[in-house]
Amino acid sequence: MRKISRYLSLYRIFVIQYIKTTMQSKVDFFIGLSGFLISQAAGLAFLYLVFEQIPSMQEWSLEQMLFIYGFAQLPRGVDHLLTDNIWMVGWQMVIKGTFDKYILRPMNIFFQIVCEKVQFDALGEILVGLVLVGRAIVNGTVQVTPVKIVFFIVSVTAGTIIYTSVKLILASIAFWLKDSSAIMTTAYEVADFAKYPTEIYAKPIQAVLMTILPFAFVAYIPSTFFLIDANLWKTIGAECLVATVIWIVAYKIFQKGISVYESAGN
Amino acid sequence: MSENLIELNNVRKEFVTAKHYPGFKGAVKGLFSKETITKTAVDDISFAIQKGEMVGYIGSNGAGKSTTIKMMSGILTPTSGTCVVNGLEPYKERKKNAKNIGVVFGQRTQLWWDLPLGETYTVLKEIYEVNKADFEERMTFLNDVLNLEEFMHSTVRTLSLGQRMRADLAAALLHNPKVLYLDEPTIGLDVVVKDKIRQAIREINQKYNTTVILTTHDLNDIEELCQRIIIIDAGKKIYDSTLNQLMQDYGDNCSIVFEWKQTPDARQADMLEKLSGQFAFHKQENGIQVRFHKKECTVAEMIAKIMGIVEVKDVQIKETELTDIVKRIYQGSEGKAI
Amino acid sequence: MKKYFRIYWPFAANQIKSNFVYKGRFYLFILRKFLGMFIYYYLWMAIYASASTQQLGGFTRSEMILYVFMSYTIADMVMVGISSEIGYDVTDGNVAMSLTKPIDYRTRLVFKSLGVMIYRAVVPTLFIWIGLEIYKVSKLGMLMTNPITMTATLVSILLSFFIYIFFDYCFGMLAFVTTYIFGMNIIKNASLNFLTGRLIPISFFPVVLQKIFSFLPFTAMTYVPVMIYLGKYSGVQVLEQLGKQALWVVVLFLLGSFLWKKIEKRIVILGG
Repeated sequence: MRKISRYLSLYRIFVIQYIKTTMQSKVDFFIGLSGFLISQAAGLAFLYLVFEQIPSMQEWSLEQMLFIYGFAQLPRGVDHLLTDNIWMVGWQMVIKGTFDKYILRPMNIFFQIVCEKVQFDALGEILVGLVLVGRAIVNGTVQVTPVKIVFFIVSVTAGTIIYTSVKLILASIAFWLKDSSAIMTTAYEVADFAKYPTEIYAKPIQAVLMTILPFAFVAYIPSTFFLIDANLWKTIGAECLVATVIWIVAYKIFQKGISVYESAGN
Repeated sequence: MSENLIELNNVRKEFVTAKHYPGFKGAVKGLFSKETITKTAVDDISFAIQKGEMVGYIGSNGAGKSTTIKMMSGILTPTSGTCVVNGLEPYKERKKNAKNIGVVFGQRTQLWWDLPLGETYTVLKEIYEVNKADFEERMTFLNDVLNLEEFMHSTVRTLSLGQRMRADLAAALLHNPKVLYLDEPTIGLDVVVKDKIRQAIREINQKYNTTVILTTHDLNDIEELCQRIIIIDAGKKIYDSTLNQLMQDYGDNCSIVFEWKQTPDARQADMLEKLSGQFAFHKQENGIQVRFHKKECTVAEMIAKIMGIVEVKDVQIKETELTDIVKRIYQGSEGKAI
Repeated sequence: MKKYFRIYWPFAANQIKSNFVYKGRFYLFILRKFLGMFIYYYLWMAIYASASTQQLGGFTRSEMILYVFMSYTIADMVMVGISSEIGYDVTDGNVAMSLTKPIDYRTRLVFKSLGVMIYRAVVPTLFIWIGLEIYKVSKLGMLMTNPITMTATLVSILLSFFIYIFFDYCFGMLAFVTTYIFGMNIIKNASLNFLTGRLIPISFFPVVLQKIFSFLPFTAMTYVPVMIYLGKYSGVQVLEQLGKQALWVVVLFLLGSFLWKKIEKRIVILGG
């Protein structure tokens, strides 16, 4: 308990410090925010233009597609917001040797990495996600019940953990290869698959999305629970299971990576 | 004998890298090759360091100094051998070890780039769980020896190199570590700042009995701070002894430069000529330089001898410089290797 | 001209070489390209499977397959960004340094990108194109692309390269205004994905937007060469489009020179 409260108070200190430094450049914040908003707008415009031409896509209506799309933004956005600094491990910290400083401090290393940065740009993604989900509720695409609200929160949390775990695994590869930014960017391309129904892809790609890079579980599979009342255990239950397993695996790989870290530089 | 605080036993560290081939064809070839190169950075090093010692750890670039320090601080895991610091293997019990050590890497700061310096210490206080009374006592002391106050409210990125180094040193000491590793702490600093840093290190060692391990290219750091010196070359330990012993082993050559009040007359010149049979004399403009071994003649005797012959305006005594000695040790080790 | 090449070619050669050096990155790079292409391939297949008509936005299913792969590979070759490098150079103070060297800053960047383009033309573009030709003949029952069309496409791609790089150079000048070029790049890439027709063919847009787009340089960055490749333009139209591309090259080049002059003055007065 004492440990948790110590970590929470440290997190607060770090975040406040981070906000202080970023507030100096409000322009940057708005640039980043609009960057994400425009990316989202382009993806949405794509859907609209396509649905001008067709009535539905493999059983899914435009409204349902918009819900899946918006729902997919939430775990991704939360992950961006809170753990964006993990990118730096794969991109720079290992190759430049700046990872040293985390090892030298008597605190959990993962925590140290994560609390150093809050990626406020991601609020753009979260905003788009919330608007689209809100819209689906208003126009009746999904029904609101207390149970669904609870599972909605559970699902977004589990989805975030999946995103973070994948990112942590890929960043950890840098401990062996020095720089894993290329792998991470590649995986993010794969994450784009998550915005659309998994069934439209070929079998091998579906298999990848359900196992190695389980992005099918962050949005599409749980969204069927909200859209067409699919089985709870097969959707959100599966998502939680995947999230638990992949987090354990990710953390083990991360720790193994630290033990082989070579601290370049000088 | 007090206990050993640090013990390295047959420590070895190897780095494996993929092989790159030169040229454009080589680049394409590299895509399909699996060859690797193993480089031994630290090769079977053992030593023990006692509590409160100040040890200079020196060697040329790439000799393995930083690699050793990184193993002792828990950043690197040895390929083989054991390294124990205050009863812990640093790479196995990272968090516990982190509380026992303080580290300053001269070329890279441990501080938060965007924070005002004062805030940095507040954050560190939380991280290292330093209680309020200790924190205040130490800050006052560190402030005294390092004069942090003048830039306490500046952001770390705006500090000059010298200020940053002082700030980093304070940050490494805030939790009163048992061991302080200093990797090139005076690199790139001007003479005045160097002096201040050395003074501070000395005072810290005296006050808290902190064990200090120091790597440096500036041998003046060693001369002024350390009682003991360990020299490594190409990953191997080639010398390990006290500084006094080193001076006795290698530093017994002495040279004295005399400047004449008046040019010696024929009779005096003749007497000097006789002496020069015993010792190496080098004529200089308006004086001479005498080189001799301290076992043959003490400095006082030599001065008395010369001054008995000629009237002297000025005398300069030059002990052999550490730099020369280290150079000789390196050359000696190369000789052995061949 | 020869001398010019001798000075700047090493910058291009070095880029080609360094792309080969890290094998992990090399294979991943290829994998990544394929993943991106296949997301859209499957998406479009699903869309066509749900459509009640043969054509969508003037494209048959076969044409759309070609469109996806061609627009992706061409965009990949053509859009070799230099603005982030300008961003780094500005923050590190290298821009001011480059003024002291007898090498033109923009030309050096252009050659570096040229190296990357050549690399990407081979890895993996060339192989995808050959694969597409085989696919066209064997699976889609179409004819192979005729040499004249292919030549026109290649010329158009080269012009696209210059349009993009001169555009990105102007864009990179923003680094002198804001330090957050990373964020600016996200905005740029998202907008370009849309405006160049890479995400969805321009012909899907409402007619009004199509009209507006034809006055902007963006369609000339990938849409035009793809449409030439698909044979969507008549002979005269091809020449017209190539002429339009050439015009954009000149306009953006001049705009870049103009902006640089202004900034150079500022650097000289205020320092980098």
